[in-house]
Amino acid sequence: MVVGVRFEAAVVRRYDVPGPRYTSYPTAPQFSEAVGEGDYLKAARASNDDPIPRPLSIYVHVPFCAAPCFYCGCTRIITRDRTAGTRYLNRLQREIELQARLFDRDRSVDQLHFGGGTPTFLSDAELADLMRFIDHSFSLRDDALREYSIEVDPRTVDDARLAAIAGLGFNRISLGVQDFDPDVQKAVNRIQPQEDVLAVMSGARRHGFRSVSVDLIYGLPRQTEAGFARTLEQVIAARPDRVAAYSYAHLPQTFKAQTQIKTEDLCPPEVKLALLGITVEKLTAAGYVYIGMDHFALPDDELSIALADGSLQRNFQGYSTRAGLDLIGLGMSAIGQVGPLYIQNHRLLDDWAAALDVGRLPIWRGLWLTREDRIRRAVIRELMCRGELDLHKLGERFGLDFSSHFAAELESLAPLAEDGLVEIEPGRIRVTPLGRLLVRAIAMRFDAHLNQEPGAGARRFSRIV
Amino acid sequence: MSGTATPSPLNLYQLRRSCSSCSLSELCLPMGLAAGDIQRLEDLVAPRGPVNEGEHLFRIGDPLRVLYAVRGGYFKSYMVEANGREQVLGFHLPGELIGLDAIWPEKHQCNAVALNTASVCELPYGQLTDLGRQVPGLQHSMLRLLSKELAISHALAGDFSAEDRVAGFLMSLSSRMKARGHSETQLTLAMSRRDIANYLRLATETVSRVFSRFEEDGLVSVDRREVLLRDVERLNKLGHCFSAGG
Repeated sequence: MVVGVRFEAAVVRRYDVPGPRYTSYPTAPQFSEAVGEGDYLKAARASNDDPIPRPLSIYVHVPFCAAPCFYCGCTRIITRDRTAGTRYLNRLQREIELQARLFDRDRSVDQLHFGGGTPTFLSDAELADLMRFIDHSFSLRDDALREYSIEVDPRTVDDARLAAIAGLGFNRISLGVQDFDPDVQKAVNRIQPQEDVLAVMSGARRHGFRSVSVDLIYGLPRQTEAGFARTLEQVIAARPDRVAAYSYAHLPQTFKAQTQIKTEDLCPPEVKLALLGITVEKLTAAGYVYIGMDHFALPDDELSIALADGSLQRNFQGYSTRAGLDLIGLGMSAIGQVGPLYIQNHRLLDDWAAALDVGRLPIWRGLWLTREDRIRRAVIRELMCRGELDLHKLGERFGLDFSSHFAAELESLAPLAEDGLVEIEPGRIRVTPLGRLLVRAIAMRFDAHLNQEPGAGARRFSRIV
Repeated sequence: MSGTATPSPLNLYQLRRSCSSCSLSELCLPMGLAAGDIQRLEDLVAPRGPVNEGEHLFRIGDPLRVLYAVRGGYFKSYMVEANGREQVLGFHLPGELIGLDAIWPEKHQCNAVALNTASVCELPYGQLTDLGRQVPGLQHSMLRLLSKELAISHALAGDFSAEDRVAGFLMSLSSRMKARGHSETQLTLAMSRRDIANYLRLATETVSRVFSRFEEDGLVSVDRREVLLRDVERLNKLGHCFSAGG
């Protein structure tokens, strides 16, 4: 089933305000430094004690990049010094040891994700060492149920490397493409000829990666409608299983690399909107299912299937098919979620390393979800992942009367209903195709933390479009 | 975990609460006693609380001073074997008596620990036996509770499959919850899977596998500590030969 998105620029512009991406609720800025190692130990122990302990999902952050892409907002370290990777790996092993002690071995690792930075900054031998060590410490699986993915910078791999990565057990790959337009690539300091990227994509297929995902960014400097349309056509021709088209967030005060982007090169708002329009049109016309926010997938991809059967989830990597996993974050800045606890590692390499050097978990901050948080998280998840909220069902699940509990929120949705983002029926809120594009704006109405601090969003979050 | 049941704060009203007004009296010692006898019993009962999660009521070798009646929360009683391994003997719900094993030789034979924030009534043992001589119904009540414990240990020693044991355990909890006026199909497990496994003489992984199999077969659905019994009839059939008391 192809869900089309009708594109209404005027409405989209009205809702283009800064807002969280809701990879978690509450969002990371709500985490508190008062939450630390003791809390984590408690949550981990309790998670082992469940009658059916949840399987594990492991995220490994590899922060290094050989050169800065100017648009990047990730936590990363630019270096050409390969020994930095080796030192990082030594400490990462220590962290894995400390973490592995906390989780029972009969809990299989169903999901594994290497993100960055550039995971392929590490050599094949280093990646193999790391995988071996994770396998030694946790219970990795080797059957088809595993979802082991890695973010790959196409400039860092050739066919032999792809084969090596597949050989380590990775069965999903995501490629940073952004835009094929050489002019744009130059402006963002990421030169990667289209032929090379396409070769990596077909190589990934040959080496048996079950899912190939491509990341694009719209709103980059010097981007044009014609150029981005060409990129989309070339990407579509290569038929990746998933396409993520992210909006470029220009926040040079927060992300230093972005100061390298010339202000006069920036994409004017109307062009950015047009780029989004082209993206939605071209991908849906080519048969991609619009999953939500910035994600598209082929109809037979697990994300599309999960969308259809209602099992779609949000997690720190965006949309995901699996519910009910405990998430372990490894590496600097990594975020984990174990039971009702969110936990985040130190964001600075030195702090992260210092904790590990004295044998402590490198925890920076975290948050215990309250009952109210859990209720609101469920609401936001239903809206973002199912596009529909059954008020009665949700009320029943949490033992509350939705309409009175969320009276103010329901009222605040009225203008969104007028603008065609949602349809409010008795007992039901339905997100329209247009609303799915702007779903952050809908979710924000239910964010109790955001609404406590008006104006905070502008400082912390990227714009919706 | 933060999800443990929030304790109801003890107020003076509750502290003064007597056996005759206690909602658990039909399960606890006063069961079957005449009003006048209950009055005499409650004269010796001393409410105490709260007992924090992980706090022990007594340990092996402690002299028998009082018996405990659980008023709120869950307790676990366990022994420690010579090799240091723990052996879980039982889980105690509100309205159940703890410490009966110490009657002879007047020393506790096991440890009793709170699994979450709990409260108990203390029943001084000497005074209780004195009263028992005057109130025959009280002795009967104690024998009834003792006999239940015996039945459970017999069942545990029997030759039952892992499925029988887990089903029996769930049905036992279910009927005990029902007797306390709670849902008999929506259970919140206060005990860890390790404790359940230990209690049922099974490997920890086996308990989880049985729960997973039950879930696949539509007998239960499990979300962390919440267990919903979906097919009570089949669970009863599996678990009836191992009905761990009620």
